[in-house]
Amino acid sequence: MANEKAKIIIVSILIKLLTLELTTLTIKFTLSTFIILIIIVTTVLLYSNAQHIWPLEKYSVSIAVAQSPLSAPFYVAKSINAFDNTCVSVEYNDVIGGQSAFAKVMNAEADFGTSSDSIIAYESLANKPFVTHAMFVQSDNDVKIMTRTSVKIESVLDLKGKRIGVTKSTASDYFLSTLLAMDGLSVEDVELYHYKPDQLLKAFTDNEVDAIVPWEPHAFKAATLLNEQVTMLDTKNVNSLGFHLISQRSDNLLVVKAACVLQGLSSAINYIAQYPEKSKKIVRDELKLTSSFIDWVWPDYIFKLGLNQSLILNIKYQISSDMGNRNANDSIQ
Amino acid sequence: MKISLSQRICFFTVTCCLLFFILISSLVWSLQQVDIALSRDRDVHQVNNYANTLKQLIISDSIYADDYSQDKWLSSQLKLINLLKLIPSLTPQQQTIQNSIHSQNKNIKLLFNKMLKDQFKNASRAIKTHFKMRLITQLEVIRADLVQFSSLVQQDIYTVIKRQALFIISVLLVSIFFLLYGAFRWTQIFRTSLNEVKSAFEKNHSGHFQKIKLSYHSNEFDSIVHEFNAMNHKLSKTTVSLEVMQKTVEDKTHILEQLSNTDPLTKVANRRALYQRGNLELSREHRTHNKLTVMLLDCDYFKQVNDQFGHQGGDDLLKHICKICNKEIRDINFLARFGGEEFVIILPNCDINGGVEIANRIQSSLAKNPLIIIKNKEVVNVTLSIGICTLSNKHKDFEQLINDADKSMYQAKMNGRNRIEVSGGYSLH
Repeated sequence: MANEKAKIIIVSILIKLLTLELTTLTIKFTLSTFIILIIIVTTVLLYSNAQHIWPLEKYSVSIAVAQSPLSAPFYVAKSINAFDNTCVSVEYNDVIGGQSAFAKVMNAEADFGTSSDSIIAYESLANKPFVTHAMFVQSDNDVKIMTRTSVKIESVLDLKGKRIGVTKSTASDYFLSTLLAMDGLSVEDVELYHYKPDQLLKAFTDNEVDAIVPWEPHAFKAATLLNEQVTMLDTKNVNSLGFHLISQRSDNLLVVKAACVLQGLSSAINYIAQYPEKSKKIVRDELKLTSSFIDWVWPDYIFKLGLNQSLILNIKYQISSDMGNRNANDSIQ
Repeated sequence: MKISLSQRICFFTVTCCLLFFILISSLVWSLQQVDIALSRDRDVHQVNNYANTLKQLIISDSIYADDYSQDKWLSSQLKLINLLKLIPSLTPQQQTIQNSIHSQNKNIKLLFNKMLKDQFKNASRAIKTHFKMRLITQLEVIRADLVQFSSLVQQDIYTVIKRQALFIISVLLVSIFFLLYGAFRWTQIFRTSLNEVKSAFEKNHSGHFQKIKLSYHSNEFDSIVHEFNAMNHKLSKTTVSLEVMQKTVEDKTHILEQLSNTDPLTKVANRRALYQRGNLELSREHRTHNKLTVMLLDCDYFKQVNDQFGHQGGDDLLKHICKICNKEIRDINFLARFGGEEFVIILPNCDINGGVEIANRIQSSLAKNPLIIIKNKEVVNVTLSIGICTLSNKHKDFEQLINDADKSMYQAKMNGRNRIEVSGGYSLH
C-alpha cells in the first residue's frame, strides 16, 4: 500500500514537472527547459534505482535462537540491523540448545528456530511435520577427541583398548564410532565410559579415562585447563555439524517470512565475510564469551546460506548407524 | 567578483576537460571492473572444471585400490587452491562463497588424506561408501558455490555496465548542459556587449557623446568601454555636433536676415526687404492677375519736429507713425521704411479705392492719436502726404510702381500736404 502511494506521488510529481516543461517550452526558454529536462531524467533514473527504499509491510516474527557461537549470523544480523530492510520485524527467543529451539517451534511458541543436523535427523524419524529452510553455518570440527599426552595416543589405532569417555547417544558417541570405523575398529575395541558433557573434563582429570570426546565449548575448556596434558587428534571433517533455520510446515505467508529472514541472514553472513573481527566481537559480547574461545572455534565455521546434499547424507548415515534410535535430548547443539 | 572572458573560457575549458577526464577515467575503471569480473568468471569455470575432474576421479577410480595414483588428485587440488588464491578483491557475497569454497576444499583434502591411509583400507564398506559420498557431496557443494559465484560475477558485469551507462549518460547530460549554457551565456554576453558598443558608436556618429553602460561586466569589454568613455569625454568637450552647428548657423542666418531686412530704428522692413517683397508680390500679381497697390507716405514737416524735439523726438515720431500704420493695415499688407521720413505700404489684392480707404484710415488715426512726448508733456501733431499707385501695364517692374507712387506723393506735397494723391488720376484732398 505504502509502495503504491509512493508510486502515485512520484507519478504526480512527474506529471507536474512535465506540465511545467510544456509551459516552459511554449515560452521557448531554452535554459529552463534544459534544466527541467535534466531534473526529469534524474528523477526517472533515481526512481528506477531506488524503489527498494520504499517502506515495506512488516511481519512480526519470533525466532528461537540456540545460544551458541554457531548462531553468530543471528547476533550479527541483530547488531547491524540486517532485518530493517526486509519484510520482517524479528524478535529473538534465546534458548539453551537446538532441541529447545525445535520444541519452541513445534509448540508454536516461535515462528522459526535454529537446530542442528542431529536434531533434524532425530525429529525427522519421529515424523514431525517441520521444514528446513536453509543451513546458515557448518562446522567440520565441533566434536573433538582429546587424549592424555602421557598415554601417547598418536593415531586412532592407538585408541584400541583405551578408556574413552563419551556422552551417550549424542554426536559424541556417533563421532567416536565413525572415527573408529575409519581405521577398521569399532566401539567394542575400546572401553566406553558414559558421562554428561560437563562431567567429561572431571573424568579426565580424575584419571578415569584416557581420552574424552567432548564438543564445544567443553573441548575448549579442557584444552585451556589441561594445556599440555591433552593431545588432540586431527579429526577435522570426520564429522560435520550444520545449523539450520527450521519452522513448522509452512504456508505461503510463512514462506514469505522465511525469505525475508533469510535475506537478513544473508546480509549478516556477508558482513561476517567482510568484517570477521567485528563479527567475532559481536558474538563475544552477545554470549559473554572470551576472545580466546571465539578464536578457537571460528576457523572451523563455514558461514553460508544453502541447502545441499550433506544434510541428507548425514541424516542417512546417522539412521544407518542406528543413531536415529538414540535419544538426542541430551545434545546441547 | 569580476571575471574576465578569457578566465571564463579557461574555466569552461578546464571544466569540460575535467568532465571528459572523469568520463574517460570511469570508462577505464569500468573496463577494469569488467575485465576483473570476466577473469573471475574464467577462474570460476576453471575451478569448476577441476572440481569436476576431481569428482570424476573419485567416482571412476577406486581410490581405495592399491594401485591408485594420488598424483593426479593432488595436482588437481594444488591447481584448485592456487586458483582460489588468485581471485582478487571480492564483494562481501563473493567473499562468503570464496570462504566456503576454500574451507570445503581444505576439508576435502584432509578427508582425502585420511582415506588414503593404509588403515582406512581396513574400514567397513559402509564407512568407505559414506566417506566417498561425503567427498562427492563436498565437491558438489563447491560446484554449487561456483555456480552461485558465476552468477554473482555475471551480475557484477551487468551492474558495472548499467552503472557505467548511467554515469556516462549523466556526465554527457551535464556536459551538454555546460556546453549549451556556456554557449548561450557567452553569446548573450558577446551580443549584448557588442550591441551596446555598436550603439554607442552610432550615437557618436550623430554627435551624441554618451557613456557606454555595459549590462555584463568583463575585464575585456570594461577596458574597451573605459577607453571609449574617456575618448567620448574629451570629444564631448572639444567637438560641436553637426546638428548643433546647423542650428546655430540657421539661427545666426535668421538673425542676420532679420537684421538685413529690418530698419534698426522703427523695426519695420527696410528698403531692401521692401524691394524683395515688392518683386515677390509683382510676380504673384502676374500669376493671379489680382490688383496690387502701393502707397508711399511722407511725414509733413518732419524737419521741424526734428528741430523742435531733437533727433530723439524725430525718431519717436517715426516709430509712432509705424505703429499707427501697422495698426490700420491688414496682415497681408507690408509696411517698410523707404528712407528718412518716407514709408511704403504694399497692398496685395487691393485696388486703388481700397488703398485710398486705408490711407484715409491711417491719416485719420494719426490725427486722432498724435505723438505725445512724455518728457516734455507735449503733443506732436503731424500729418502725412500719401501717394497711391496701382499696378498697371505700364509698370515693367516694382521700381516703376514705386516711382509713380512717389510722384503722386510729391503731387500731394505740392498740393498742400496732408493729402492723398492717386497716380494718373485724381486728388482726394
